[in-house]
Amino acid sequence: MRSVIAYTLAFLGILSLEAVAQHGHHGHEKKALKSEEIHADHSLYHLDSEFIDHRNEPLKLSNFKGEPVIVVLFYGNCTQVCPILIQDTWRLFSSLDESTQTKTKVLAVSFDTENDTPETLKEYAEYEQLDLPEWYFITGKHTDIKMLATMLGVKYQQTGDGHFAHSNLVTVLDTEGKIAKRVEGLNQPMNKAATVIEAMLKNL
Amino acid sequence: MPEIAFSQTARVVVPAGSFHSVLPEVEGEPVAVDSFYMDETAVTNEEYLEFLKDNPEWKRSKIPPVFTNNGYLREWKSDLDPGYENVGVNRPLTRVSWYAANAYCAAQGGRLPTLNEWEYSAQLMEFDSDAEMNTFSSGLINWYSGIDVKNLAEVGSTGIENTEGIKDQFGLVMEWVEDFKPIIADELSLDCGTVGRMNTLGSVYSYAASIRYITRMSFNPKITTGMVGFRCAYDVPAPSSQNNINGETL
Repeated sequence: MRSVIAYTLAFLGILSLEAVAQHGHHGHEKKALKSEEIHADHSLYHLDSEFIDHRNEPLKLSNFKGEPVIVVLFYGNCTQVCPILIQDTWRLFSSLDESTQTKTKVLAVSFDTENDTPETLKEYAEYEQLDLPEWYFITGKHTDIKMLATMLGVKYQQTGDGHFAHSNLVTVLDTEGKIAKRVEGLNQPMNKAATVIEAMLKNL
Repeated sequence: MPEIAFSQTARVVVPAGSFHSVLPEVEGEPVAVDSFYMDETAVTNEEYLEFLKDNPEWKRSKIPPVFTNNGYLREWKSDLDPGYENVGVNRPLTRVSWYAANAYCAAQGGRLPTLNEWEYSAQLMEFDSDAEMNTFSSGLINWYSGIDVKNLAEVGSTGIENTEGIKDQFGLVMEWVEDFKPIIADELSLDCGTVGRMNTLGSVYSYAASIRYITRMSFNPKITTGMVGFRCAYDVPAPSSQNNINGETL
């Protein structure tokens, strides 16, 4: 059996390098993709699926091409962590000056595809006082949400009691839909993410 | 090259139940699984080719790097030619990323099975004795350590099937599952002790399972290897029109 373990470890050694490169984002900014390493082919907008928002409007991610986008994954039934995560997102959005806000979109995507209907999300948006023109509370097909989450590096898993274990991550996408900034964890400073968005609009 | 007839894979119902995972959420507790449907066999090159005809954005020359590394369908002769003269017919599709597997299953009205669904189904096997199970598991460990990706057999040909008639979950290729790197895996570091810690059931069978879990957890969603294919799961039975077509061809 020793040889099997050796084999497995050798195998892991090869693969985990790539895994670390992709998932090693625990606060180490160096490991985030550098701009020269990514190009339009790495745009999330290649995910050509139809989603639906809290206004009951169908949409595709590529609709947001040309604008900075803030993405956060959450679920409505989450009363402990998600309100903080949504507030973090609001903190980022509201720290932008007004003209920047109007040019920025926020996608709050629910992975509770069973319970978070457009109507539920509408109520959620109103309750959180975030039913704003720039904000889209979105859900979609299970596989599409899972793919989007994986592209962002967000993990979530149903825990059996109607709740989910999930990563806490706020992501900024550039005007082509590539990941420009990731803020992982709750209650994190948002000033760098805000700077990224402002720089993006200056360069347009 | 004659046209290969496209045959719809049979969907098999897997009744609800539970199994002992080597990676349970609660130690010692069996994992409960709801009933679901799953493909009888792994997705073949022929089936994937049909998908590519309808979804050209997933062809090798078109797929953006956000969805795959550069090994995607590497052994195919061209965009729409799996090279049957080299690989044979009815072989499991490999060298596809997790994203491609998802897109394929979504196009069939399905999804990838969850890790627990796949494992539960795979472990619905009856052994006459512990000795038989140990022999099977030892064979499995050997298989995991040297899958011959150049000579994959036809789907359905391994002779290994679960009690519901789902074939080749072992012995053909490893398979993508939806949550191949479950959140619980974040707490494990993949080091020398991991197999030992996971080997909670103390049998050769669970040792083989541990190797499978760990190998899977080492994947990332963009890898494409010759030893990883997939099959789809569904929340609903096949549409009746599909059953009719199957009925006619059978």
